[in-house]
Amino acid sequence: MHKYPFINIMSIMSSDKIIQQLHENEKRVLKSFKSKKVLSADELSKITKLSKEAAEKAAEWGKQKNLISIKENVSEFLELTIEGHEYSKTGLPEKRLISVVSKGMDEIETLKNKIPQFSIGLVWINKNGWAEVKDGKILITKEGMESLSRKLDEEELLAKVSKNTKMSRDFKRDIVDKLIRRGLIRIRTEVNREYALTASGKKIESQIKLGKEIGQITVDVLKKGDWKKYGLRAYNISTPAAKIHPSKKHFMTQVIEYIRNVWTEMGFKEMSGPLLEVSFWNFDALYQPQDHPARDLADTFYMKIPSEGQLPEDEITQAVKATHENGWTCNSLGWQYSWNPNFAKKSVMRTHTTTLSVRTLAQLRKDVDKGALPAKYFSVGRVFRNEVLDWKHLAEFYQTDGIVVGEDVNFRHFLAYLKRYFAKLGFEKARFRPAYFPYTEMSTEIEVFHPEQKSWIELGGAGMFRPEVVKPLLGKDIPVLAWGPGLERLVMINYDIKNIRELYWNDLKQLREAKIWLG
Amino acid sequence: MPVININRNDFCRLIGHEIPMKTIEERIPMLGVGWEGTEGEEFSIEVFPNRPDMLSVEGLARAFSSFMNIERGLREYKAEPAEEFLIVVQPKVMNVRPFIVSCVVKNVDLSDDLIRSVIQMQEKLHVTHCRKRKKAAIGIYDLEKISFPLTYTTEKRTFKYVPLEEKQEMSLQEILEKLPKGKDYAWILEGMNEYPILLDSRGKTLSFIPILNADENKIDNKTKNLFIEVTGTDEKTVTEVLNIIISTFGDRGAKMHKVKIKYPDTGIIYTPNTSPKMMSLEPKYVNKILGLNLRNYEIIEYLQRMGHDAVEINKENIEVTIPIYRTDIMHAMDIVEDVAIAFGYENFEAVIPNISTIGEENPLEVFASRLRSLMVGHELQEVFTFILTNKKNLFNKMNVKETEIAETANPKTEEYNVVRNWLLPSLIEILERNQHHEYPQNIFEVGDVVILNPYTDTGTETKKRLALAMCHSKTNFAEIKSIVESMMKNLGINNYKIEEAEHKSFVAGRCAKIGIDSIELGVFGEINPVVLENWKLEMPVSTAEIDIDLLQKLI
Repeated sequence: MHKYPFINIMSIMSSDKIIQQLHENEKRVLKSFKSKKVLSADELSKITKLSKEAAEKAAEWGKQKNLISIKENVSEFLELTIEGHEYSKTGLPEKRLISVVSKGMDEIETLKNKIPQFSIGLVWINKNGWAEVKDGKILITKEGMESLSRKLDEEELLAKVSKNTKMSRDFKRDIVDKLIRRGLIRIRTEVNREYALTASGKKIESQIKLGKEIGQITVDVLKKGDWKKYGLRAYNISTPAAKIHPSKKHFMTQVIEYIRNVWTEMGFKEMSGPLLEVSFWNFDALYQPQDHPARDLADTFYMKIPSEGQLPEDEITQAVKATHENGWTCNSLGWQYSWNPNFAKKSVMRTHTTTLSVRTLAQLRKDVDKGALPAKYFSVGRVFRNEVLDWKHLAEFYQTDGIVVGEDVNFRHFLAYLKRYFAKLGFEKARFRPAYFPYTEMSTEIEVFHPEQKSWIELGGAGMFRPEVVKPLLGKDIPVLAWGPGLERLVMINYDIKNIRELYWNDLKQLREAKIWLG
Repeated sequence: MPVININRNDFCRLIGHEIPMKTIEERIPMLGVGWEGTEGEEFSIEVFPNRPDMLSVEGLARAFSSFMNIERGLREYKAEPAEEFLIVVQPKVMNVRPFIVSCVVKNVDLSDDLIRSVIQMQEKLHVTHCRKRKKAAIGIYDLEKISFPLTYTTEKRTFKYVPLEEKQEMSLQEILEKLPKGKDYAWILEGMNEYPILLDSRGKTLSFIPILNADENKIDNKTKNLFIEVTGTDEKTVTEVLNIIISTFGDRGAKMHKVKIKYPDTGIIYTPNTSPKMMSLEPKYVNKILGLNLRNYEIIEYLQRMGHDAVEINKENIEVTIPIYRTDIMHAMDIVEDVAIAFGYENFEAVIPNISTIGEENPLEVFASRLRSLMVGHELQEVFTFILTNKKNLFNKMNVKETEIAETANPKTEEYNVVRNWLLPSLIEILERNQHHEYPQNIFEVGDVVILNPYTDTGTETKKRLALAMCHSKTNFAEIKSIVESMMKNLGINNYKIEEAEHKSFVAGRCAKIGIDSIELGVFGEINPVVLENWKLEMPVSTAEIDIDLLQKLI
């Protein structure tokens, strides 16, 4: 931090000069060692009549001038993490699970939906040997039954830590380590300091006179002109200042706003639309066959309320149907199956913001021959996947979609837009591999080079919409460049976040301390 | 997507060239195959769903060999005409699983490598292209243990035979209930009175389709000649799958023979059909889409590098012959992509087109962003929460009556099974979770909620809301009121009205609604201690929630 070797400067400074630079509080501290050679922070505060914080700060300044020595005793205490805090209230997931199972509810399928943190619970009852899984059922072992009647060491420790803010590490070591590994508790260190005078401190102590001097320039000082009489004390400008944390926009918002800017700078127009979609726009309009695995219940949130929505105007619906069934007038063979409008009506939480791109194509339909093209659109929006949350998976995340619609756009333009986008996000090098998506051809996977990690990072899919997507919606077969990379990985790299759930944890300490997005 | 394991030595033997692992690792992704990693002489790849032909070492080697310019052009597979292998399809199977195609493969050297490859391919095809055996399923048998003609029919669930790897006869019902394969695939046969069965001329069971073969005719390392059938519900898929399989055996030097299939109504067909598909391609189209200026002979060479054959019909037309194992080509664009892959994605020069368009943000997003800045100016920290939540958080804990909201049908966790219809609960949840951190905790969010509305095409409306929560020991109605009023004034709105409101989440008499004319914009006040207790919060909270869709329209 400091470029100047203060201690050396001090050692060649005269005592007068040193005393002139002392703050009144420092002087009080230096004068405190009359009855005792070594003082604690509390004692220092009592003798100087300063607050503990102010006394410690003054002593710290003294240390930097080599007048006071500070000995630090570090003690370690345990504290709960967010997850630990939750379990200390609700109980450990394994204990909750085993207790429910012991009451006869043993079907995994049922439990999965009934018990919060079911999968964590299952892992631990397995590891602890409390139960076995057989034929989709959980069978309690003897150890499992026994665990019900006693308080586990883990529970005892959690309870202790939640009650006692000064809980030391003196507990069964393996249990402490285990809960640290599980991320339920962490170690908080606390430093106790002991203060004494150094040789130079002793030397100047007797020359210090406690008296009036001017530190803070107050209204009063200026009115009375006291500063002319007493002079102003020089400050030690290397003294650490208090830490403040301003309110900010959430870092996700900062990133999203930045990306929206990037696209508008490049002449793109923003699209928006519903979070809860009709399957038609999420899948069918994108030429995803109705038995495509991506439409499985496993990945997509289907809705109970509302269970279905409406198909668009007949002209578009019929064109999409015919394209799936026999290629319609797209010069394509189509998927060759019988398209079911009822599947297309099902409501879903949108699994990608490409829904907005296809809705936009359908809207452009009436203006295609009226000079609406070429046109460029973008969106940044939330999408949903039916996932169990863990450090790698979220059920909600962000995607940025873009399309360029124009008779003369081509694959080289496509590569250029994406390269420019990633360059604006700080990734100078981007490369493209062939990939597969049912609605694009060419399809590519985008990778960018991370200069610090020296590795290539996959950031999502892109391509040119198939004619089978474009023609039924737009009414004409016109090239459309399209992409939909994700945002979360970019943010995780920038903020050095390893656990994807941290993005939406909203830990206020973390948010207050996070740097602002610099692009 | 399926991952398959390949032995490099076997892979190189098939290509007829020694290729170092490093070259494979570098080049395979550029062919359109995912690279997963190596372990010794083995490497793993991820095959994309459009290329099931690469689900075997033979298929991958074939594609790679062309791509690397070792052996390019079309590979043809011929099946000898034969009359002796006949399958008779009974009318009653037509309602259940109507399609069967088949082939006899002779002179197969069933080495360990090939057996491994065939089993892996069969498994992966079943999962992917065959849609878990529903659309198509593959059966492979020892030809010598079968007596022709065969009958493809159905049998009652009491019908018995000795299934693969079992010692005793079991009924179809028992197989579905007791054996692992039966349990895995029983769903395909749900609702059927009789199940598909393949019998030989002596009445012996070959297979309970698509579940399990019989033990008697299984293949072993002495097997030289194979009988292969593919059945299913989709004619295109069964044909494609059979073609992929015979290409695999063809690459290993086996000889194929046709099988005669007699359908009850449409008559006799012979399978496999090994004549390749043709497609005509305009070079102009290729160059337009790719932004290149390729000559016809170059396009032809690139197509050969992807396993096609192509000839120039005239300057404007190239006739492409597509190998039988390619199932993904349905449009000329698919061929254009093949040209692009052979050309190499890394060899394209990126260029920004000369298109002039005006960028434009969504006005509501611009407004939301301004509101966020205004809130940060009031020293509130923005939070960013999930839209999916549960009814307990939205209603019970907030002390309000349940109303109908958007609800998921198949959530993996009950914690996230509805779509929020208001924002405040999300903020209170954040406060609950942050109790161990410093106060004051003054937070806000501009976020989306979903409201049911039968008059829209989705049956819902996505709305933007602003919610604020002040949480510290001295917060009260006056504090939240001054922020709400400050917001309105900063937006240049002075004609707003504040009226007393009733809301169970708030303290009675300390809750107000704000609106302009007759339009209600939102609600604010002190949170009811009942709610605080529900959330185990021991710090007072005052909050507001404002509809910013409406607010923006009023400005």
